[in-house]
Amino acid sequence: MNKGPLLFLGIFLTLAFSWTGIVLTNHLTVGQIGTYIDAETGTAFPQAVPGLAQQGKRVYQELGCLYCHTQQVRRPGFGADDLRGWGERQSVPRDYVQQERLLLGTMRTGPDLMNVGARPLNAEWHYKHLLDPQITSPGSNMAPFPFLFEMRKIVGQPSPKALQGLPPQYAPPAGFELVPTHRAEALVAYLLSLKHEFDYPESIPVNTSGGKK
Amino acid sequence: MSSADPSFVASLKPGTPEATAERALLSEIDVSTRRPVFFFLCAALVWLLVGTGFALIASIKLHNPAFLGQAEWLTFGNVRTAHLNSVVYGWATNAAFAVALWIMARLSRTQVRHLGILDVAGFFWNLGVAIGIVGILRGDSTSIEWLEFPAYATPLLFVAYALIGIWAIIAFRFRQPGHVYVSQWYLLAALFWFPWLYSIAQLMLVFAPVRGAVQPLVNWWFAHNVLGLWFTPIGLAAIYYFLPKVLGKPIHSYYLSALGFWSLALFYNWAGVHHLIGGPIPAWVLSAGIVASLLMIIPVVTTGINHHLTMFGSFGRLKDSPTLRFMVFGGMSYTLVSLIGSAMAVRSFNEIAHFTHFTVAHAHHGLYAFFTMVMFGSIYYMMPRLTGREWPSAPLISAHFWFCAVGITIYVVGLKIGGLIQGWEMVATTTSEAGEVALRVPLFLDIVKHTLPYLVSRSLAGMMITIGHLAFAVHFVWMLLQPRAVAGAQPVRLSPDAALPASRA
Amino acid sequence: MGYGAYTFVVVMAVAVMASAVYALYWAVKTGQFRQFEKGATEIFTAEEPEGQPTDFFPQKRKKPTA
Repeated sequence: MNKGPLLFLGIFLTLAFSWTGIVLTNHLTVGQIGTYIDAETGTAFPQAVPGLAQQGKRVYQELGCLYCHTQQVRRPGFGADDLRGWGERQSVPRDYVQQERLLLGTMRTGPDLMNVGARPLNAEWHYKHLLDPQITSPGSNMAPFPFLFEMRKIVGQPSPKALQGLPPQYAPPAGFELVPTHRAEALVAYLLSLKHEFDYPESIPVNTSGGKK
Repeated sequence: MSSADPSFVASLKPGTPEATAERALLSEIDVSTRRPVFFFLCAALVWLLVGTGFALIASIKLHNPAFLGQAEWLTFGNVRTAHLNSVVYGWATNAAFAVALWIMARLSRTQVRHLGILDVAGFFWNLGVAIGIVGILRGDSTSIEWLEFPAYATPLLFVAYALIGIWAIIAFRFRQPGHVYVSQWYLLAALFWFPWLYSIAQLMLVFAPVRGAVQPLVNWWFAHNVLGLWFTPIGLAAIYYFLPKVLGKPIHSYYLSALGFWSLALFYNWAGVHHLIGGPIPAWVLSAGIVASLLMIIPVVTTGINHHLTMFGSFGRLKDSPTLRFMVFGGMSYTLVSLIGSAMAVRSFNEIAHFTHFTVAHAHHGLYAFFTMVMFGSIYYMMPRLTGREWPSAPLISAHFWFCAVGITIYVVGLKIGGLIQGWEMVATTTSEAGEVALRVPLFLDIVKHTLPYLVSRSLAGMMITIGHLAFAVHFVWMLLQPRAVAGAQPVRLSPDAALPASRA
Repeated sequence: MGYGAYTFVVVMAVAVMASAVYALYWAVKTGQFRQFEKGATEIFTAEEPEGQPTDFFPQKRKKPTA
């Protein structure tokens, strides 16, 4: 063990070996997966995220949402993601090919968001939830984001975007309205765009309990 | 730094070749490394306090979300990220540099040169980290876990690291001929692995991102290897050096250290993908990672046996030696956290523990209870020899040790329990007689409610740890305000002949 | 998706394992492990010799007699 060069060779080879196996092989295989064209409609799946939602993804990153929310659904039978309404099938690599930055996440302090756009939560719910999670989800430990909203004087007609139906301690005083900022609108557009329900040939749900789901 | 000192001893020890070249005194080497090593230690301490502050804020926010909730720059996502990066790249890496450089210099057994390189490196490294932390708080995080520093900060880190790597290679090249001690294998390996990991990850994730599901593979190959191939080797190098040094007896079974080193190098590399079990990743990669994670039992048990056999019969010395306390706590934590880590990779356990606070507790078990405590022990040994002063206060050392040891224990135990409850409730189902499967805890908010007490215990533990850190910081500064123990250039050696404790056989 | 990438990693795994085994054989053959145990004493010098503990709590050490 006194030979410097040999020590280095061993150290180098062990790293090269793992990099080749874990990174390179998958880069050459999984990394080449593209979109899938649905024969009936001619649409490519997964669909590209529209512009406002793309901006919203940037807001999601700025606020660090991925540290409490995952975007990966586990297969039925391994965990209970399907029973919680987080997705009917497991997430597959193809679901992510349109994303220039994946936000898989590793913590579920809050629910998985891979298919949050497919859940019965509309924009109004999301705005209230972001303003203060206690409004829609009492007891939640999610952070409030009051800075995503703007309290302003009503000039002329009230804005159609102003939040309605807020509990008394959040409702703006008379003559004022609470309006989502552009960042809030983008973020909600992003959340509403999150759905991956298309069944690719390789994504047929896998179930360890045998038989059909 | 005189090399013509007539009191110079070129000792011939059995097993080493006749040393015809100059061998420097350990005390001379210690003094020669003073400036850069001391700088890295000061930087490390500053980041420790900064990181601890962010940690407390983040921890409180998880059970009191309205705490400091008005300020965007302090939102949980930012504070948690600022905490991670300041303790990993600020505290832990600066401490790692200091300890690695100091041990490497001593084991080279000759005067070290070109220390100016290290001054520049230290400056650029810490500048990069500071810019990176500010960038994160501004919202410029890359959203890649463990790589959140924005692209305008990372080139500074590259420059700094390249300089350190160059110095290490030069120091190794000009070492005294003879056996290369186990700590040096680990240090050289760590110093080599880290820049490769970092460069490849930056290239494949930030500067020319790979497509789709390859990103998390690169991400977790990198992030786990930072733990396994950077921090773990440096921590083990420190234990392998300081443990026998403090005791005055060599490592018990030196052959085992060779086995431990190479099996770690081979297996740890592949374990990282266990972060992605259940995810959109080909099953063979995950299985390979699980197997590697289980094979890690080999180097971990090997190292544990080696340390234990070395300590055997000397546990009474824990009363006398600060460094030993931290090393033994750290070494035992290493064994425990690694075995738990192997268990976490098994799919059936992973189904419950993945995505929960259990993982967070595990991360702190490794990076704090093992690595940070070992770094504390190293610093207590190094500082007197670097500065020529003695630590002024034994009670402050004890306070530091006990607040941190008890604090991290409460942290890890409490949060692991909370994580298991969280995980179990998230996946637990009941099956009715008709074969219908239903959730036992259907409301997610109920799961949140059940974990709250453990999030609170984490904050309390964090406050204890903060007190320990403040005691350390105060003591560190107090030590520097002491006059030098001995006037003149001769550094103080801390094992004077008259000082053998009465209990020693 | 071709199997070329997988074949490559399997071949590389075999090659790495084989070279690891060979390295071990070479090391034993060229005497790398002879007197290996003595390496454990590298950390001791005349200044901090084997058998002498080197770390104490402050004020727990007796002041050296002048």
